[in-house]
Amino acid sequence: MRIAVCLSRLPDPKTVEVDPITGEIDASRTLYVLNPADAAALEIALELRAPGDRVTALTVGSEAADSVLRDALAVGADDVLRVWEEDRATTRPLVTSLLLATALRTEGLPDLVVCGARTLAGGSGKVPALIAENLGWPAVTDVLELSLHAARVHFQRRLGRGGRSEGEVTLPAVLAVQADAARLRYATLPGIMRAERAAIPVRHLPDLGLSPLDLNFPSPTFRTPMPPYARPREVFIPDSHLPPHERAAQITSAGIAKRSGKVVEGAPEELADAIVAFLAEQGFLDRSA
Amino acid sequence: MVMTTHEEKMRTAYFRVDDTPHIVVDPEKCRECSVRACITVCPADLFVPLDDGSVLFNYEQCFECGSCYFVCTEEGALQWNYPRGGYGVTFRES
Amino acid sequence: MTTSKTSEHFDVIVVGAGPAGSAAALVTARAGLKVLLIERGEYPGAKNVSGAVLYGSAILHQLIPNWWEQAPVERHVTRRELALLSPTTSVSLDFQSVAPSYVDPPFNGFTVLRPKFDRWFAAQAEAAGAFVLNATVVDDVLREKGQIVGVRTRREAGDIRGDVVIACDGVNSWLARKVGLQRQLRTHELALGVKEVIGLDESVIRERFHLDGSAGVAREYIGAVTGSVHGGAFLYTNRNSLSLGVISQLSSLVEQKQRAYELLEAFKAHPSVAPLVRGGTLREYSAHLIPEAGYSMIPKLFTHGMMVAGDAAGLCLSTGIYIEGINYAIQSGRAAGDAAIAACERREFSRDTLSKYLDLLRKRHVAGDFHAYRHAPAFVNSERLQNLYPELAARGSEALFRVDGNRKRKLLPLGWRTMREVGGRPHQVLKDIYHAGRAYLW
Repeated sequence: MRIAVCLSRLPDPKTVEVDPITGEIDASRTLYVLNPADAAALEIALELRAPGDRVTALTVGSEAADSVLRDALAVGADDVLRVWEEDRATTRPLVTSLLLATALRTEGLPDLVVCGARTLAGGSGKVPALIAENLGWPAVTDVLELSLHAARVHFQRRLGRGGRSEGEVTLPAVLAVQADAARLRYATLPGIMRAERAAIPVRHLPDLGLSPLDLNFPSPTFRTPMPPYARPREVFIPDSHLPPHERAAQITSAGIAKRSGKVVEGAPEELADAIVAFLAEQGFLDRSA
Repeated sequence: MVMTTHEEKMRTAYFRVDDTPHIVVDPEKCRECSVRACITVCPADLFVPLDDGSVLFNYEQCFECGSCYFVCTEEGALQWNYPRGGYGVTFRES
Repeated sequence: MTTSKTSEHFDVIVVGAGPAGSAAALVTARAGLKVLLIERGEYPGAKNVSGAVLYGSAILHQLIPNWWEQAPVERHVTRRELALLSPTTSVSLDFQSVAPSYVDPPFNGFTVLRPKFDRWFAAQAEAAGAFVLNATVVDDVLREKGQIVGVRTRREAGDIRGDVVIACDGVNSWLARKVGLQRQLRTHELALGVKEVIGLDESVIRERFHLDGSAGVAREYIGAVTGSVHGGAFLYTNRNSLSLGVISQLSSLVEQKQRAYELLEAFKAHPSVAPLVRGGTLREYSAHLIPEAGYSMIPKLFTHGMMVAGDAAGLCLSTGIYIEGINYAIQSGRAAGDAAIAACERREFSRDTLSKYLDLLRKRHVAGDFHAYRHAPAFVNSERLQNLYPELAARGSEALFRVDGNRKRKLLPLGWRTMREVGGRPHQVLKDIYHAGRAYLW
């Protein structure tokens, strides 16, 4: 089996210092790290690796990003690959995911792609989903635990408010793991020395069969939506059909009823319809759209 | 701002925190200690006297200077080590 | 995966990528040896703190010609000031020079920021062929039949062998103590330095300190600045920041139950310092120990297969007049490197062969400097020099320059009277004059 891990090198938000007067970021005080969720992804990939399997670490970035690939080599990744278009300063998720997905295709598709669920400090978490979209593979986000059963991955996802969900996905697939899903091992001395000396292979756009035009996604446009307005809220009125003591009980509980969610089951199409209907009902979607 | 509180000073230093402490204090030994030089000497103020007479050490913001090690008078009260490579304080000074 | 023991062998293993370690790695790598430079920080300089002024630019110039043109230096020091402080008064010796040896290459000294400078210096060693291994702690040496044959790092399969180990692992020098070259250090031999880098506009610095272009000033202070704690303070100008800090004898901090960072605040608030730092912004606070006792704390410098250099060898000259460490670190690292080269040529790594290190330290005046000033550290940290004489100088000067209609006294009676006022005793003063003479004059 071949496992690909996507890594990113990021400024540690604690070291991003903005000059209060000029408003500029003081680059000389910024320190970079391997994105913690990516480190967890790397550890999971290494743990999944059986004899004969290969773990390949990829990143999109300039030469400075080699550091995260050396981190990966130091802990035992078999191959690494950096993808970059020179003269580029940064990439948006659409570009990053296109570069990664194309690199995976040209290098030979793996069986499993493991990514960090999101980048430090407010990352959108789009990249893994976009890679999956690009490859036409399923994506599982916010994964906390996973185990491999032949060609299927059993996973546990983290939901809001401490909730968990479990499921299975058939490979090939993209899994996005959370930062606390695993703790990256500490490199051995031979590992770190080997990594330090390794030559890092790089692929540029022509190597991937891409032209700079392919990366020209329209910039996101922002329009000012309606200012948020307070949604009408129902005032509690006790049910007049009930006997007095029950009405009294309702009043003393101030009408607090347990909030409830709604679980819809069925085929994916029906589920999607149900979600759209729900969003429209709640006023999040324009029905005519 | 030139005059700063200790807390403001500490906010300017950067630490990569490891899972396990590199300096371990033996609270029993510290209970017997009357000098407690570590508490005043630590430039990061990481030694906290507790009500029960022992001393708590917060390793996360340690400068790894060694002051506590050299002033400690209780044999074996302090197990002093550098953090693992790559962890601990990282000075930038720019 | 390979987790087995690395079979790789180095000619020279240098522990610690400070100025001593990088100098040692640079000269040995240039000689074509296979060199490993191990640093525990995530980059060289990440754990390193000093004032910092690099004096003896000419020494580094011998290794890397015109080094200041490529290195991250701040300002070349053309002005030095030594100030005695009382709570209200400052009496100082102000030296300023446009003599060629101060303003022309190779200059006399530069202010530097250590995380940047040390990183650059290690990169020079790397460019010369040394293998720089970051983020790795060395916990011990490997011994075989009384010979040091490598180091043990705190990583799995972490033993690595080398013919010569050069320990440049800083003031705490675990390696020198583990091998038995250094004894346990005492608290009166060590000083705790707490430091701040304070950002200030370049034009403000030039104006405030009367500096032209990239010229800089180094000021050192003793007296009331540390209260009753034995120590001193410093203030150096960088390009667009100030480095300032307070250095306190560790034993004295304990006795006086004083916190070093509070002394630092008091220093910044002193009437002679406050106007200099006004309007600045704290950029970084840091702390480090300084081996202050000089000659008396220098360990045995070498044994079979191992040498000690830099702060690990106690090679920091702190005499009140001089606070120099980086120059001796570079000198000693280089000398250890040269001795390692000679040993590798002969393929013989015994103590006798490595004694060339000591010969080189003597020849290059490192040993001589420390021997000459062997009495100075104790004198500087003596009670009266720390507290009585700055007060005496301050009060004496106050009286000397005061014009209030009273009779002007001549210097001797004025000095006598002031001395009695501050509680000085004539026989002690005579004794101290002798001690000062022994420390600095002959």
